[in-house]
Amino acid sequence: MFFVGVIFNLLAFLDTNFIIHNKNTNYMKSNYLLIVFLMFSTLVFSQSYDIGGTVKEKKSGLSIPGVNIQIKNSTKGTTTDFDGKFTFKGISSGSVVVFTFIGYKTFEYTVTGTDTNMSIALSEDEKVLDEVVVIGYGSQKKKEITGAVSTVDSKTLEVLKPVRIEQALQGTVSGVNVTTQSGSPGAALDIRIRGIATNGDAKPLTIIDGYIGELGLLNPNDIETITVLKDAQAAIYGSAAANGVILVTTKMGKKNSKGKIVYNTYAGFQETSRTLPILNATEYALLLNERYANSGNTIPYTNVSGFGKGTNWQDKVLNKGVPIINHDLTFSGGSDKITYSVSGSHLDQEGIVGESKSGFLRNTARVSLGADVTEKLKLKTNVIYTYFNRRTLPENSNASVLLNAVNAPSNLSPYDTSGNFTVFPGGSLGNEMINPLAQIANSYNDYNFKQINGNFGLDYKITSAFVLSSSIGFKTANSESKSFSPILDYGSGKVFNTTRSSVSQNAVNDNNYSFDLFATYTKTIAENHKLVGVVGNTIYKEYGNGLFATGYDVPNNSWDFADISLANGAPPQGTVPVSSYVYDERRLSYFGRLQYDYKGKYLLSAMLRRDASTKFGPGNKVGYFPSVTAGWVISDEGFFGESSIVNFLKLRGSYGIVGNDAIPNNGYISQLTGEGTYVFDGTLINGRASGQIPNPNLKWEEAKKFDVGVDMNLFDNKINIVVDYFIDTRADLLIPGIPVSGISGGQAPGASNPTINAGTVRNEGIEFAVNYSNSFSDDFNMSLGYNVTMLRNNVTYMGTPFIAGGSFGIGQQAPSRMQVGHSIGYFYGLKTNGVFQNQQEVNDAPSQVELGVAASPGDIRYVDVNGDGKISFDDRTDIGDPIPTATMGFNMQFNYKALDFSMYTFASLGNNMVRNYESVAPDANRLNYVLGRWTGEGTSNSIPRVTTAATTNNLFSDYFVEDASYVRIQNIQLGYSLNPNMIEKVGLSKLRLYAGVNNLYTFTKYKGFDPGASNGAPIGGGIDYGFYPTPRTYMLGLNINF
Amino acid sequence: MTITVFATMTSSCSDDFVSRPVQYSIDSENYFNSESDYENAVIATYDLLQSTFINVLMGEIASDNTFAGGNSPTDVIGYQQIDQMIHGPVNENLKQLWDWMFAGVQRANYILEFKDKTDFDGKNKVIAEARFLRAYYQFELVKWFGGIPMKGDARFSPGDETSIPRSSVSEVYASIQNDLIYAAENLPATPAQKGRATSGAALALLGKVYLYDKKYDLAAETFGKLIATDRYHLVKTADLTTQQINVGLTPFGSIFEESGENGPESVFEIQYTDVEGASYGQLQYSEGNVAVGFAGPFGYVGPVFADGNNFNLPTPKLVSAFEAGDLRKEVTILDMVAWIAQNPGTSYTKQNQDTGYFNRKYIPRKRRTEAAGDVKLTSPNNYRAIRYADVLLMAAEAYNKSTAPNDALARNYLNEVRRRAFGDNNHDITASGAALADFIQAERRVELAGEGHRFFDLVRTGKAAQEIPGFTANKNELFPIPIEEIQFAAGNWQQNPNYNN
Repeated sequence: MFFVGVIFNLLAFLDTNFIIHNKNTNYMKSNYLLIVFLMFSTLVFSQSYDIGGTVKEKKSGLSIPGVNIQIKNSTKGTTTDFDGKFTFKGISSGSVVVFTFIGYKTFEYTVTGTDTNMSIALSEDEKVLDEVVVIGYGSQKKKEITGAVSTVDSKTLEVLKPVRIEQALQGTVSGVNVTTQSGSPGAALDIRIRGIATNGDAKPLTIIDGYIGELGLLNPNDIETITVLKDAQAAIYGSAAANGVILVTTKMGKKNSKGKIVYNTYAGFQETSRTLPILNATEYALLLNERYANSGNTIPYTNVSGFGKGTNWQDKVLNKGVPIINHDLTFSGGSDKITYSVSGSHLDQEGIVGESKSGFLRNTARVSLGADVTEKLKLKTNVIYTYFNRRTLPENSNASVLLNAVNAPSNLSPYDTSGNFTVFPGGSLGNEMINPLAQIANSYNDYNFKQINGNFGLDYKITSAFVLSSSIGFKTANSESKSFSPILDYGSGKVFNTTRSSVSQNAVNDNNYSFDLFATYTKTIAENHKLVGVVGNTIYKEYGNGLFATGYDVPNNSWDFADISLANGAPPQGTVPVSSYVYDERRLSYFGRLQYDYKGKYLLSAMLRRDASTKFGPGNKVGYFPSVTAGWVISDEGFFGESSIVNFLKLRGSYGIVGNDAIPNNGYISQLTGEGTYVFDGTLINGRASGQIPNPNLKWEEAKKFDVGVDMNLFDNKINIVVDYFIDTRADLLIPGIPVSGISGGQAPGASNPTINAGTVRNEGIEFAVNYSNSFSDDFNMSLGYNVTMLRNNVTYMGTPFIAGGSFGIGQQAPSRMQVGHSIGYFYGLKTNGVFQNQQEVNDAPSQVELGVAASPGDIRYVDVNGDGKISFDDRTDIGDPIPTATMGFNMQFNYKALDFSMYTFASLGNNMVRNYESVAPDANRLNYVLGRWTGEGTSNSIPRVTTAATTNNLFSDYFVEDASYVRIQNIQLGYSLNPNMIEKVGLSKLRLYAGVNNLYTFTKYKGFDPGASNGAPIGGGIDYGFYPTPRTYMLGLNINF
Repeated sequence: MTITVFATMTSSCSDDFVSRPVQYSIDSENYFNSESDYENAVIATYDLLQSTFINVLMGEIASDNTFAGGNSPTDVIGYQQIDQMIHGPVNENLKQLWDWMFAGVQRANYILEFKDKTDFDGKNKVIAEARFLRAYYQFELVKWFGGIPMKGDARFSPGDETSIPRSSVSEVYASIQNDLIYAAENLPATPAQKGRATSGAALALLGKVYLYDKKYDLAAETFGKLIATDRYHLVKTADLTTQQINVGLTPFGSIFEESGENGPESVFEIQYTDVEGASYGQLQYSEGNVAVGFAGPFGYVGPVFADGNNFNLPTPKLVSAFEAGDLRKEVTILDMVAWIAQNPGTSYTKQNQDTGYFNRKYIPRKRRTEAAGDVKLTSPNNYRAIRYADVLLMAAEAYNKSTAPNDALARNYLNEVRRRAFGDNNHDITASGAALADFIQAERRVELAGEGHRFFDLVRTGKAAQEIPGFTANKNELFPIPIEEIQFAAGNWQQNPNYNN
């Protein structure tokens, strides 16, 4: 049925196009008549002057085409041409000529005589309230926005030089927090808008030019603006908008502008931003001796004199001067009917660990075209192609390269005497620890991703008040990956040894399309009442499949031969080395919005959206999502007067309900997707069993969003303040795999617990942002920005006692929980109270024997939280959470003559992180804080003794929970632009050189690699398994405009 | 144009768009349309037998046979607490046992719920397998937790925990006995494939359930019936292959090696393989015997055996329970000091509660090259769930405790086991009555050491409190219902006596 609709629509379009074309010829004729009439009328007024000249941009000196030039209080006007030149004839003496151009301050000129060689300079006006902001199915003047909306523009992106765009949202937008899953090239980042409200998918919806897309795959230089909808304003996107919406507008050409070629490039060198302070070989040997001696064992190293410093494994693994290179090229321009922008980019980044073994290469290409097909019909299309290739090393687990580098004894050398990788001993070093260099050398994988996506939109102006818009968006993505597991021998007993080589190859195909159709009606009634109504419909479908296969016995045990076509060994009997999946999920939505304002002073908008989703079963598919937003521009009121301090003051509020359906597919039916495998006659035989426990009552999760805010401009619009208070209550929370009674078989292999609407999470917070910008003179201007978000997260209801997640140490209970009365994903463990100094203290304290072994002097003293006179696991309590209480950004830019300087900083306060990268193997190396350990009464009250004897010191407690607050200088950049007049001679309009450093320095007390990292899991986030640090990048770059 | 487009939109975008079929999916409610559908569901029901590794491991740790061990006193807290008899309702490992055994019950009941849907020849056998397996899982549950909720031939669905009560222990036993009587009558005597339940397995399990239910006459009758089939016998020298003899295996020792799997003494054996493993977070997925890897010596380097996690360590008390001349001692206990002396260059790393002893029957052996997955989670060692030796000792116990005891027959069965153990007739037991009963239990201890039976034998004979350090009478006979389940049941289920929630 849908396709029929599309075809009809296309036919209708072709039809209209034809008719309009004919009409257009008529229109042209009438235009001619008008011009003739105008020329005639000029002749009538003979007492007049002529003016002419060039309009330029004050800062860069570049000419501005398309500037509107008009005589004040008249309809008479002209515009500048491609070269910014204009001539305006026959102006009567004393007339005021007004030069206006969007984004620039208006310039007025009083005509006193003829001057045909004028040079008008327009200065940028960054604080214009007429700036238009995209709000979803329409746009609005910033002044009239009634929701909590923040934007990041291309200028910020140009400075920040993010490899992935998500990075540019950190610290630049209030209410948005970005965490890295890893610093390895191409690793994903997680964006959270106004906190984490769900333990399911907490990712915001990203709309690229009106079409659902993925932020991380874009070339940052293709982006014009990013708009973040944080409150009920997002309700127009009803479904999937519960986590907030990010609207991306890509760059378009400008009408009536000369073709412009922009080339940007940078090359940089990366290095680790941190290495952990580890014991050197001598310190290690001495500590090990103490450990063994403390438990009455013979010491392993009787003579440590020759040990020296030994091997610094991190230096061996973390490389310096690792290259990153980026190029991008954009062609753009436009005539009075057509605009175009064509661009391409190339990024090549190697990893600071393993260099090319953890590399990321991305190429993008984009074509964007806008055309006024007729006066009434506008066409817009944008197609983006993305290719990337990524290679990775084992991370974030006990098999991670970095973890091995941190825990490897420094008395072991990387290579043996014959130049082979040293084989690590097993036994008391554990059978998981292996030579990290050997591990890098033995890691082979490759991931290729290709995607083409884009959209095709039409606006048809039926009357001046009534516009019909339609848009088709599409994506098709293919990825192929290959990983090779060679025959490996890391030494006797090591768990990563393999006796058979294999190669796994995967192919995944993901597609989606959307079709939007909506009508916009704009009407002004009785001059002061303005109405904008939108009604529309959107359908969305995502579908795809994946195919996975493994081949055994790769010839020559070599990556060069690692392909299933050559790996013809039989799989182990009974195993099925192939698998596949398909999916097809859809949404159908209707929406309407009515915006009303009276004199631009009282603003009101109401939205209603009806969504139906395949994620829910019959009877529950449909959800209705209403919202209202309102604003009052107080500064427009008569009583407010002409305040010299406050130039603009707006109060706004919003409330609405937004939906979420981001849950595993087909949760409402029971399918035989379980694992039912058994061994008969010594061979694995596969049967059939139930998968996830179904929940036929699944329904939409609802985010109730409340927001009140104030927008204020002060001191001649130099200072802009935005303050918001919000409460985001997530009700009917969809909890995938929620614990239910085991009697229903949810823990069988391949089965899982159901998804149930069973929770309420509340995020309450305050956002404050202030920006200051001022031009002190023609040569010097500056802007400063500061924003802070304070957030409190609380689980207020759950349909199950708690959900546990994450992992800590070996064989220990899960450290993270979601539970009523606490932050989502809080840390649940023992509370400590120093270190026992002597036996008397141990005797006087509640017994710790129930934890496994009685305490001795030098052991951690735990707190009897429940007061039952003994320490047990029942004494576990809330010992912190990974959610920051405040995040803030501080940004500054200065321009002085040809120099520009910028700095972006970000701070996160009050977030905890769990130190979980330390091996518990008796012979593992240690961080050097252990030098401050307890060695006798009065030596330390925080760091316990070392011993190989059994202790309870490694139990999950606040000893391992650290304050991971940090301040990070994300970026500094210094640029120099060559004088435009000089470079004009060689055909350039801009030439800027710059040097910058990304991730310059992080101020933190946190001991691990990266306090800003998280695996992104709502329950189990903030546990540090040895995160790959975000690299520090030194770069030199060039911007050239032709 | 507007009208055309809107007209098509309204018609094309009805809610039909979001009512799509699920592709390539088998809906569980439209299944059971052929014999193979039933067969596949039965295979999946067997699957959870592999998860009973945790019953064996924890059952042994709970007894006075072994220490928990592990890397440290806090390694797998749930095991450590059970070892010390300080376990409470908060115990992730007891929760796993509960979950996995109920998952087995659920899969059996899935078949039984649809037992009348499609007919075919030999369906009785399929139903009998499903009922045998349900009985196996429910017997485990009743041994560990006492009365459990039951729903007849139907699956539980979420919410049932708040309405279906825990049946009494005798109701559960009655249901299990019915299932096994049916299974014994409808299962084949010889399995179509190694690993399948047989009528012999059903009889043996039925006899065992009668013993636990203290119905000794019925137990004796059932074991008598089984023994009379003459289908099983204790492994004797004549059963050994030349190769087994060449590597120095005794008849008893041969049972626990790979070459001895599914041998003449095997009445029911849980099958494992080493080609598909799992992760520590999802042990129930493993096709290997996780208990074996967990029990292996940590950091072991040397011949025959392989590395493990140092759990389930034989206590000196168990080692001294073997009489002089008992050939089973060396097969049951690996004495590391002696082993290292015999095999220079061998080493392992002592960990928590090291005794120098390991459970030789069930520790990992050297891997084949075909093996895959984490070595500690993918051991191929089958679990000999019911051995004929166990049947003989249970029969001896049943005859000894029958209303009209037959101690002569009981002694015969007991001495049959002892003669193999000592290789002579000089160690025969001549006692009768209560003294004989004690000898039978003592024999069970050494014959079946490391096989997970000891704790339950002590409980049902009332000896647990005197033998197991820390055991509290009238409490520790049953394990607590996991706290999560008590909370889910919202007052519908009471906690077992003397456990505080």
